[in-house]
Amino acid sequence: MAEIVIEVNNLAKYFPVTRGIFRRKKIADVKAVDGVSFTIHKGETLGLVGESGCGKTTLGKCILQLYRPTSGEVIFEGKDLCEMSDKELVPVRQKLQVIFQDPYDSLDPRFTALDIIGEPLQIHKISKGKEYNDRVAELMNLVGLAPYMAERYPHEFSGGQRQRLGIARALALQPEFIMCDEPISALDVSIQAQIINLLDDLQQKFGVAYLFISHDLSVVRHISDRVIVMYLGKVMEISNRDELYKNPLHPYTQALLSAVPIPDPAVEMNREVIVLQGEVPSPMNPPTGCVFHPRCYRAFKDCPKIIPLLADAGGGHQVACLLYKTSWP
Amino acid sequence: MTPLLQVRNIKTYFHTQDGVVKAVDGVSYDVERGETIALVGESGCGKTVSALSILRLVAEPAGKIMSGEILFDKVDLLKLSDEEMRKMRGAKISIIFQEPLTSLNPVLTIGRQISEGLEFHKNMSVPEGMQEATRLLKLVGIPHPERRVYDYPHQFSGGMRQRAMIAIAIACQPQLIIADEPTTVVDVTIQAQLLELIKNITKEHNTSLILITHNLGIVARYAKRVFVMYAGNIVEYGSAMDVYHSPCHPYTAGLLASVPRLDEPRKTRLQPIEGQPPDLIAPPMGCSFQDRCGYCIGECQKETPHLSEVTPNHYAACCVSQKGSRQWQKSS
Repeated sequence: MAEIVIEVNNLAKYFPVTRGIFRRKKIADVKAVDGVSFTIHKGETLGLVGESGCGKTTLGKCILQLYRPTSGEVIFEGKDLCEMSDKELVPVRQKLQVIFQDPYDSLDPRFTALDIIGEPLQIHKISKGKEYNDRVAELMNLVGLAPYMAERYPHEFSGGQRQRLGIARALALQPEFIMCDEPISALDVSIQAQIINLLDDLQQKFGVAYLFISHDLSVVRHISDRVIVMYLGKVMEISNRDELYKNPLHPYTQALLSAVPIPDPAVEMNREVIVLQGEVPSPMNPPTGCVFHPRCYRAFKDCPKIIPLLADAGGGHQVACLLYKTSWP
Repeated sequence: MTPLLQVRNIKTYFHTQDGVVKAVDGVSYDVERGETIALVGESGCGKTVSALSILRLVAEPAGKIMSGEILFDKVDLLKLSDEEMRKMRGAKISIIFQEPLTSLNPVLTIGRQISEGLEFHKNMSVPEGMQEATRLLKLVGIPHPERRVYDYPHQFSGGMRQRAMIAIAIACQPQLIIADEPTTVVDVTIQAQLLELIKNITKEHNTSLILITHNLGIVARYAKRVFVMYAGNIVEYGSAMDVYHSPCHPYTAGLLASVPRLDEPRKTRLQPIEGQPPDLIAPPMGCSFQDRCGYCIGECQKETPHLSEVTPNHYAACCVSQKGSRQWQKSS
């Protein structure tokens, strides 16, 4: 296996819920991410799936220290990022970049394409003058934008092109890791495939590792090497891609997969859909035992009492569900 | 029997400072009683505007239905007075909007918003309306409806708001429901719940449904007939089986090839449709898909292709297809 780029150990992020105007009293915690551990290897794409509010984005931001985690470790180049001061983090941030979901909101409307892509180069004082312009032109070519567009503003680009700007900006500093936070969900179907192929190409060229956050399970299967399934701040299942999609162990993963409609009426006619009842509970007051048990169609009497452990159920396929002996504490 | 809804050559244009946007440019389709059809296409292809045109909800004065006929139960909706049209909306034809948060009124309780239509169309009193609203909320699967009926939209989750929207849409038992991207803003597990709910309701009351979506999987699961739209026109239509298994327009084939499928072996590479949809203010001469099409021939740049029957009950607007060549079917 390739060398490890990032190691996440027991990461947790709680957001306090306060009440009162003058004397703010903490009344509860929202456990957005609760004890998550995994590793990301060089040149690998790790898919992260789950419903909205399950803590996918919070987890990504904690890795980049855009949120300071409540506890746990994020180890990059032998150092724990959570222990470092903001100042110490500046040089590290060159290596860790991000592509945001909404290419309409995440680009400054008053910046030209040149400013947007070049800003990281200026902040880290990498290049200036002609060299700077050349580097930006090179980056634009790389993501499939014509360099003559450098003086244009974001509103003059289409959605797909804006996402290309975001990608060029993330690549500017030759990072080792990019968090892709739903990079294609705001784009049209025919454009999505263009961006996925671009991300694929860039990974092969530069060996950058991706954390690919998405709720689209078919896209995640296409792009990822390994996949994490999250629910309510906890990891339900981690496995390599082929194993997870062929043999999903957790009932939640099984339901998610069956809920994805397949674009073929003949296949759909004979397909059984597991429709999960209810909605995701509030992370402020999560269910006892296994957090998924109120919606689980295979829950039994022990599920509300015992918290299942995330453990290897064979061949590196980790699952947290009491249906499997390995998850019993 | 004549179809419930016959849309005939509708043209809806928007007059902007930059010019006239031909959002819908000559679209025709029928919906039978109790049938579910799907309008599929990417953003800006005119699928929503063509549906809003049926309800005459296109934002005036910028937007205007220029010509065409919309026959609903043999009555041309475009010839009705505003007052007569008001009696149609909600009672005979209703719509489920994409974003329940922006389309629900934040200062009225959910119950009031459901009962509004009942009071107007069915002459119910307010208490009767609220009672009916409670029943409807229960029907769409909201827990504790007797309490929830007094809640405001912000107190509902996204999935529940969309359920409330469905309750509003079905309150007066319309004959036609238009669902405009009803599940785009919710999660996949909630999406499955909502679509099953809509399916069961329409089946029970023999309601016709126009399902507008960009999700090809949802179409395959729920619609019998499919209309594919591109740049303001319908480019292909037919039964879902025909359209998915032997697409007669390269755009449809391209769309189908560009999405990864869970039931097939993973491809090493996706096949995107290169380029972008044309500018609807100044569309190119000839076929609107020519710039992105890999099968273009000389005629494509000169003639605007019209829908014609390529195989029985399967229509496409493509010069290449009409000449009998469909190489793209092999690759897809």
